[in-house]
Amino acid sequence: MRQAGMYSGILNGGMSGRTGPHLLPLARIKKIMKRSGEDVKMISGEAPIIFSKACELFIEELTQRSWKVTLQGKRRTLHKEDVASAVIATDVFDFLVNVVSESGANSEDTPVVMER
Amino acid sequence: MVDTLGASASTDDGSVKEQDRLLPIANVSRIMKQTLPTNAKISKEAKETMQECVSEFISFVTGEASEKCKKERRKTVNGDDVCWALAALGFDDYAGPLKRYLQRYRELEGDRVLNQEKAGNAEENDEPSLYRGSQPRN
Repeated sequence: MRQAGMYSGILNGGMSGRTGPHLLPLARIKKIMKRSGEDVKMISGEAPIIFSKACELFIEELTQRSWKVTLQGKRRTLHKEDVASAVIATDVFDFLVNVVSESGANSEDTPVVMER
Repeated sequence: MVDTLGASASTDDGSVKEQDRLLPIANVSRIMKQTLPTNAKISKEAKETMQECVSEFISFVTGEASEKCKKERRKTVNGDDVCWALAALGFDDYAGPLKRYLQRYRELEGDRVLNQEKAGNAEENDEPSLYRGSQPRN
């Protein structure tokens, strides 16, 4: 049986041929890196690979924190407002505050900022 | 300033297609699902929000890494710069798992991916690799 994780790079627009057991497409990561600023000219081959793992860890952390908010609301469906709450409550996710506001999440009545 | 993105990434009016700006929703939601209990559900909007957050994360960290390179007068953002930026921005607990991941990856893949990337992506301006041609497999 085919291992989905192993070949996800190919199925999801990865580089030519096998890109290794990455969950996220390296070519897309590289494009996003390039868009981040004028100064970004050259990117080594390893940088998108590190990001593929770092993004995985990031998604895991933000998801777990969001889920805690979901549970507090006694729900089993994770909503974007839960993600917004997790962002606001976590210092290290300060850079995301505008992103979750743009998504249309309602601003908190009394945001509580906790040290991570 | 030369647009390093290929023509395929832009529409005629120059704007970037949304799918090039974000990681695929299927991949992102797969990782989210893996983190949660089996009976958990995720709204579509939450997945889309997460897509936006991840792209912002990549930009944020890359910006920091790129600034370091600029200060040190280096043209290429490498893996160590990314690791440094992550630690500098407060993601120091990612450092351990990342270093192990990178080590394991280097052992398994060697320079094969570097050569593959060069062959498959002519538009990129990567630093010339020290290794030309195919490498013997380990």
